[in-house]
Amino acid sequence: MRPISLTCVTLLLLFCSSVRAQESPFFITYTHYMEEPGNLDFEFSTTNGIPRSGQQSYVAPYMEFEYGVTARWTSEVYLEGQSTIGDSTVFTGWRWENRYKLFSREHRINPVLYLEYENVNEASRIQKEIEGGGPDLVSSNSALNGPRSHELEGKLILSSNYRDWNIAENFTLAKNFSESEGIEFGYAFGVSRPLSSLASARECRFCRENFVVGAEVYGGLGSTLDFGASGAAHYFAPVLSWTVSDNSTLRISPGVGLTHEASPVLIRFGFTYEIRGFGERVSKLFGRRT
Amino acid sequence: MRALAISALLMSIAMPELAQNARYQPDSDWQAPATAASRDNPLASKPELAAGGKKLFSRNCVECHGPEGTGMESKHSADLQLPIVQQQSDGTLFWKITNGNAKRGMPSFRKIPELQRWQIVLYIRTLKPPKSPSEN
Repeated sequence: MRPISLTCVTLLLLFCSSVRAQESPFFITYTHYMEEPGNLDFEFSTTNGIPRSGQQSYVAPYMEFEYGVTARWTSEVYLEGQSTIGDSTVFTGWRWENRYKLFSREHRINPVLYLEYENVNEASRIQKEIEGGGPDLVSSNSALNGPRSHELEGKLILSSNYRDWNIAENFTLAKNFSESEGIEFGYAFGVSRPLSSLASARECRFCRENFVVGAEVYGGLGSTLDFGASGAAHYFAPVLSWTVSDNSTLRISPGVGLTHEASPVLIRFGFTYEIRGFGERVSKLFGRRT
Repeated sequence: MRALAISALLMSIAMPELAQNARYQPDSDWQAPATAASRDNPLASKPELAAGGKKLFSRNCVECHGPEGTGMESKHSADLQLPIVQQQSDGTLFWKITNGNAKRGMPSFRKIPELQRWQIVLYIRTLKPPKSPSEN
């Protein structure tokens, strides 16, 4: 076997031996479900904006590496870019986020604290959250693709389960330390549930238990300089996630803009691989005894 | 040569861990409340649903408890075949799956629908140590 083929087969084995992925279907709303400790999720997603007249369509892809540090602490790194039709393709920056679940046990309402450092510029359009009024969808990339700013973002995530339903509320505040724009606010609410409560015995791709459906609403709430929901982008978005195989999940969300500041249609796609026990295996490579 | 080295590296990451934890001792602080421990499995009269529980177990639990549920010493995960586990009530096992035990690295599996968690309990009940030659 040629070395290159051997590498391909090994890569295939790596992904096939990976596991389970019952991902939250949401793109924006966070729940209290944390990544299992030692597991690594690799996710590739895109945010696709269909514009109003006078604006250009855009595709904003991003890669996400999510790692379960402990059962209550999940850390993620994002790399993001953006391509606007008739304009250019640009790398817009990176983010590092951390989520910490406050209580070890399940409660009626489960709070999670979220802290993120962002090093992105004004051309960013992935819209992982809407803060303030929302992104600038009018200016060209050459005008927006300037120096990346330093921004800290905090969220209070509240998440509850009622029967098989998950109900989550996120409250966001963000401070851009490179601009004098006050503290910006945003929100996201989501509900979801699996299509089936019971698991069938057979292995199947299209069983109802492999699908989770729901909807989320998210938008901006202005800033300390101009607080309020008016003048900000708001979206309503049905969501669907499909556990394609034990190690991969596909998600789709066709969002509808509810205000003039939003894109009329915002379509999101996401594909996730989960690699179990990643941390332990990597640490073994470096000689850690178990 | 370089491709072989990369392959060896990837294989070592991909290879499943084989171990067991017969010396498992439960965390004395990890106790289900009495009301939770006394809950009956609503699927107890449908043992055929344990097959679905096996599928869920392989997706969610094998990583730490192993394919036979014997646990892994390196992960402090329970050997589910041990009497110390099997003697616990259905409600206790359900509560432990639901809440997890962050101190020992067991995550909460609340994201699995309730009846599916009960299916996992049904399957755990089928995990028995292999009979010794003298028993045969």
